[in-house]
Amino acid sequence: MNLRHMQSIARTFLTFALAAGALASACAATIPAGTVLSPRQEFVRNNGAEPESLDPALIESVNAAEIGRDLFEGLTSTDHHGTVVPGVAESWKQTDATTWVFKLRKTATWSNGQPVTADDFVYAWRRFLDPKTAAKIASTYAVYLVNGLDVVNGKKPVTDLGVRAIDKLTLEIRTPNPVPFLPGVVAVAQYSPVPRATIEKFGKDWTKPGNMVGNGAFVLKDWQVNSKVIVEKNPKYWDAANVALTRVTFLCVEDGNADLKLYQSGEEDMMEQLSPGAYTALKARYPSEMHNGPLLGLRFYALNNADPLLKDIRVRKALSMVIDREILSSKVTADGQVPLYGLAVKGLASIGQTRYDWADWPMDKRVAEARKLLAEAGVKPGTKLKFTYNNSDYHKKMAIFAASEWKTKLGLDTEMDSLEFKVLIRKRHDGDFQIARHGWVVTFNDATLFLALVQCGSEVNDDRSCNKKADELIAQGNLSTDPARREALLTQAAKLAMDDYPLIPLLQYSVPRLVKPWVGGYDDANGMDRYRSKDFWIVKH
Amino acid sequence: MWAYVLRRLLVTIPTVLAVVTICYLMLHATPGGPFDAELKVSDAVLANLQAKYHLDMPLWKQYLYYLNDLIHGDLGASFRYADWSVNDLVKRALPVSLAIGGTAMVIAIVLGVGIGIVAALRQNSAIDYIVMLFGNIGSVLPSFVLGPLLVLVFAITLPWLPSGGWDDFAPRYMILPIALLTLINVSTIGRIMRGSLIEVLSSNFIRTARAKGLPTRVVVMRHALRPALLPVVSVIGPLAISSITSAIVTESWFSIPGLGRLIVNGASDRDYTLVLGLVILVTVLAVFLNLIVDLAYAWLDPKIRY
Repeated sequence: MNLRHMQSIARTFLTFALAAGALASACAATIPAGTVLSPRQEFVRNNGAEPESLDPALIESVNAAEIGRDLFEGLTSTDHHGTVVPGVAESWKQTDATTWVFKLRKTATWSNGQPVTADDFVYAWRRFLDPKTAAKIASTYAVYLVNGLDVVNGKKPVTDLGVRAIDKLTLEIRTPNPVPFLPGVVAVAQYSPVPRATIEKFGKDWTKPGNMVGNGAFVLKDWQVNSKVIVEKNPKYWDAANVALTRVTFLCVEDGNADLKLYQSGEEDMMEQLSPGAYTALKARYPSEMHNGPLLGLRFYALNNADPLLKDIRVRKALSMVIDREILSSKVTADGQVPLYGLAVKGLASIGQTRYDWADWPMDKRVAEARKLLAEAGVKPGTKLKFTYNNSDYHKKMAIFAASEWKTKLGLDTEMDSLEFKVLIRKRHDGDFQIARHGWVVTFNDATLFLALVQCGSEVNDDRSCNKKADELIAQGNLSTDPARREALLTQAAKLAMDDYPLIPLLQYSVPRLVKPWVGGYDDANGMDRYRSKDFWIVKH
Repeated sequence: MWAYVLRRLLVTIPTVLAVVTICYLMLHATPGGPFDAELKVSDAVLANLQAKYHLDMPLWKQYLYYLNDLIHGDLGASFRYADWSVNDLVKRALPVSLAIGGTAMVIAIVLGVGIGIVAALRQNSAIDYIVMLFGNIGSVLPSFVLGPLLVLVFAITLPWLPSGGWDDFAPRYMILPIALLTLINVSTIGRIMRGSLIEVLSSNFIRTARAKGLPTRVVVMRHALRPALLPVVSVIGPLAISSITSAIVTESWFSIPGLGRLIVNGASDRDYTLVLGLVILVTVLAVFLNLIVDLAYAWLDPKIRY
């Protein structure tokens, strides 16, 4: 990149920085005027699986991150509309293509009253990516920092990481290439600051109740493994005046039926998610309490592009064409998920949705075309496919539907292989499959995470597909300083990659769940499906 | 007798060792590993993780490491629950399982034996049929049917009790799970008690006791009960173990943080140390409970001497 180009980028980013600063003024959830609050601001939400850790560096799952973001607050945060809002940082600006400066608020403190400083972030990020910490998803986020991957891989010391404290309240972040969506990245729980003194004092036990010091809207009160995590309002939190809830209980109930029963008997205010198959009946029974917002997630079938049968694009295309997504959505899963014919889901930032032209053809025409493609590829009826999925009734139902589509429309036989989840993902990662169930949900809203599914050599590209032209467009898009141009390039890249039929897109996820009518702050349009407890309130009931 | 107890306790050591070894090998032979996740762990991080848990060593060396920790009372670090050691997890889950399973077992024994006695004394009468009918409901209906029924009646229709959850041994959270486990076990104990007592009551020594003019109460309580309890005692061992350590359906349905959920989650998460720790615990409990059962035999039957 030449100097003139860099200067041009810098000018554009300074303009952008002003916009970011303006955005930084609004943050806390506002309770609508006239709302009569309950005197008892206590909220019980089922959070599903037991968190694997409450140490931000060791958090992997959505479940743990949800609690983590209540106990710790990063530079930015994602609110209940799915929007990136200021957190500890009150403003930020991109000083050049790959450098960002975040200004921390003076009022941010730890729950012990000590100020949160830029050094706390430097310490936390170095610790997160330090090979000694062995954080399982370190490399996922390391790619956004200069020397991040080298630090994770032990090739460079943590002090070489692209983050430094300019002064107590100013943090500079350097990225290896332009990352226009960085404010969203630093909202993830893993990039929260952590209290150095507490960690050094208690070691591994620093996350236990009584020991933990946090900087989030809530503090840890109790943690009963496999039962619940209880947090209480943090009076030292900088925005405590705008936090309505005084106590939040995160239940760790995985069983969908137990979740529903707890909801029905009034033991919880918000479910984690309905069990498969329960949506229609429960929607009729609790119409005003049912929520089913679309999630920024893609349900798809991975195709092993290196497989002797599937390496032929015509076979992959035929398999994709004949699956009737409308029937799959309305009759098979029947839980409000949206049919998909492209890589990007609705609501995903920096990319437009693409759609195969045959998606609007009548099914007869699609089947005829698919048969023609198979004949050209020399695939005869009776040819065997092997479909791998993890054992759950939901996935089984979908798999049987797909197999019946391939059998009735193309004459192909499908052998079903039901595995434990851990075995399925190992096989997918190792390329030991032909067709496999897959799903993808973002942790921050940007097209990059979806495009990684089809990029050459990407760690998450289990299909082993590669379209070099699409990769070039993605690279160009990520270098672009113009958001509209970036979006156009990434959309074009997605279309190009998907024209190779690397995978079979099926549905956009949705999250059907019941929420009590007295819970305020829930937003069905929140495609991130992340809810900070600070954005909830309890209406008088 | 003390020599016998000591001998039995010493036998525990090779038993545990054999169980641990077999389980260790089986776990490591199972496809999928503790670090397999949707987001693939990069090679460097995987190497760090493996080093942290000694998984980078040859299997025999890992095994020796594990045994060394075990001898020092350390069940190791959990793979799934990063903030807790297996010792922590067991320390928290065992009292929960003991409270639920142990209480249910005691109630089931008292009720089961009582039902058995009543049914045996009024054999083939209406009382016998009614008592055994109710007792058998627990056997006929599986726990995944009985559990929801209890919740429907006592938590949702009549909102008297919470439908699930746990709050530091608060009795209201314990009533329904204990009731469920009791119902499951009471019929087994009741049926065995009934059959055994009927058999004992037709023995010559009972006839002699009756001929001496002893009242029925004395005949039953002093002469018939002890020998009739022998088969009941035999089943109590396995029933108690399953109530304490394997109440998986009950724990899952009522969201109780006990050992059953840990075992299931540990296995599916490939949490090697957690599963091994729990297997050791179950083995020790099994050996210990079987020893108590054997000692109870000697107390109940004067012909048995150790």
